Amino acid sequence: MAEEGLVHVPIDLYRFDPATDKAPRYQRFELDLAPHTPVLTALLKIREMDPSVTLRYSCRSAICGSCAMIVNSKSRLACQTPVGPELEAHGRIVIDPMRNLPVIRDLVVEMTGFWGHYKKLQPHLIPDPHHPLPEGRESPMSPAQVEMFKETPRCIACGSCYSACPAVEADPEFPGPMALAKLYRFVVDPRDGARRDRLLRIQPGGLWLCLRCHLCTESCPKDVEPSQRIRDLKEMAIQLQGATENGSRHAVGFKENIRERGTLNELKLVRQTYMPLDMLARIPQGLRMARRKPEFIRTPPKIAGLDEVEKLYQILDDAPREGT
Amino acid sequence: MRLAYYPGCVAQESGKELDMATRWVAKRVGIELVEFPNFSCCGSGFIDEANSVLNTALNARNLAIAEKAGLDLLTVCSTCTGMLTLANVKMKDPKVRQRVDGALAQVGVKYGGQTKVKHLLQVLTEEIGTAKIAPMVRRPLKGLKVGAFYGCHLIRPAKELGGGSPEEPHQFEDLIAALGAEPVMYRGRVMCCGFPILFVREPTANRIAATQIDDARAHGADAMATPCPLCHLSLDGFQNQAAKVVGHDLHMPVFHLPQLVGLALGGTPEELGLPRHLVATDSALAKIGSVAVPA
Repeated sequence: MAEEGLVHVPIDLYRFDPATDKAPRYQRFELDLAPHTPVLTALLKIREMDPSVTLRYSCRSAICGSCAMIVNSKSRLACQTPVGPELEAHGRIVIDPMRNLPVIRDLVVEMTGFWGHYKKLQPHLIPDPHHPLPEGRESPMSPAQVEMFKETPRCIACGSCYSACPAVEADPEFPGPMALAKLYRFVVDPRDGARRDRLLRIQPGGLWLCLRCHLCTESCPKDVEPSQRIRDLKEMAIQLQGATENGSRHAVGFKENIRERGTLNELKLVRQTYMPLDMLARIPQGLRMARRKPEFIRTPPKIAGLDEVEKLYQILDDAPREGT
Repeated sequence: MRLAYYPGCVAQESGKELDMATRWVAKRVGIELVEFPNFSCCGSGFIDEANSVLNTALNARNLAIAEKAGLDLLTVCSTCTGMLTLANVKMKDPKVRQRVDGALAQVGVKYGGQTKVKHLLQVLTEEIGTAKIAPMVRRPLKGLKVGAFYGCHLIRPAKELGGGSPEEPHQFEDLIAALGAEPVMYRGRVMCCGFPILFVREPTANRIAATQIDDARAHGADAMATPCPLCHLSLDGFQNQAAKVVGHDLHMPVFHLPQLVGLALGGTPEELGLPRHLVATDSALAKIGSVAVPA
């Protein structure tokens, strides 16, 4: 029985030292803790019991972003995750290192890949030669300008979003949510001289591999909402240079497709997205689909009230849009 | 219960079996599907990427059609659900509202923000309730282990969609259990199917689909089930491609949500459109024994 006011907390901790261990394992620790105790505090108590337990942490105040890890399958900062609710929901606490980054030891992961994508974006203000920053003092922004950053300046680069991202998991070229949220921050900064270039440079393999699954937004301990900012970047990229690759061609093609009938013409969308050679390569799969699902190659009827849809396109899509 | 039926594009086209199964199930559980020939596409997230305000306006028009009829909207697609719900949220932003209202006014449409968007999963588990579904079961899916696959836009972003836990939803598993099958818990159930980038970089999309299928299998699933026809396209329609990319067989039957419900309520594979799948569902049907239903 735990002391009054304390709860008994079974913790299954991921242990792995690639230098000596063949495979990762879980080690069970049992602690009696107050329900509000942060997972990080529990881990530090565990380290007193077993000094070989390895983890990163620093500020304990959800500012430094060092203690990002997986708590009961969810990306969390250990310092701001109390044990009580986790215990209530799962009966125990399973702790794993972040995903999508190689484990150095236990909960410490190699973050070079994460930082590499970030550095490539030149995450610093590049002054505009036509509008030099004032010498020797700050370059002030109006509150309205600051608002354009949305929540991106709150990012503490903890890596939670990178760890949660299925596109990062499946494709090493995708820079990940954090890098793109930071990119957004510079693309909308009126003082930055490389705003256009930043947007143009990132496109191939960058922006359009985002799945808009919003797992990054859910995993972010600072509510930065990376998935929404990536969406914003996509719209800006299309406005800047039109449809230049599969991703933007698909988005723009889809928009034009719906304008014609109000409903999706599936086969036509394939033609609107792919270049001719890509198209050819997909014929066998298309035939396979069409055999079981003949509607795939039929042109659907137009919806009733298509004139209303057309008018909305004229007002909101044909007219020049405000914004970047 | 009367609801404005918003089938979405795919359920009327290559995913017609979803529409077939929805109609079959709706009749049995007492949902009257009121149809509107003037609904337009939800934009599937793609129009939102190309022109967010246009996307909101198109969906506000859809919501207004249901509102005028005094009905809430029934969806059978996670993506439609997400897009229509997000339009409701965006219309609360005064700047967006002003632009969209202005455009809608020019086509004689007014949207008062009253239409609720409800996915079939939500209607079955929350409005009708699994306690009422369970006694309707004529062919319990005993012996079948099913991995629910939610589809991102049904559960995220949670702040906008409201209700339920985005990380640990359970409604689908509750329903699967009520049908007599055994729900399988696995990480992939709330992950992405890869569909949104199927046209951007197909092998990456395929790899993502394979990851979730492998995960479901590793946790014992005989079949998967999804409330989203786009997930179905990725998991079933392109499963052969996913197997090629990862270099091993996948062989995972994937049901649309109402197909699974329909099977338990006594529907035949033909009535529910199972022969239209690219991956045969025979292995799953064999698990629940004879496909014949006791009279």
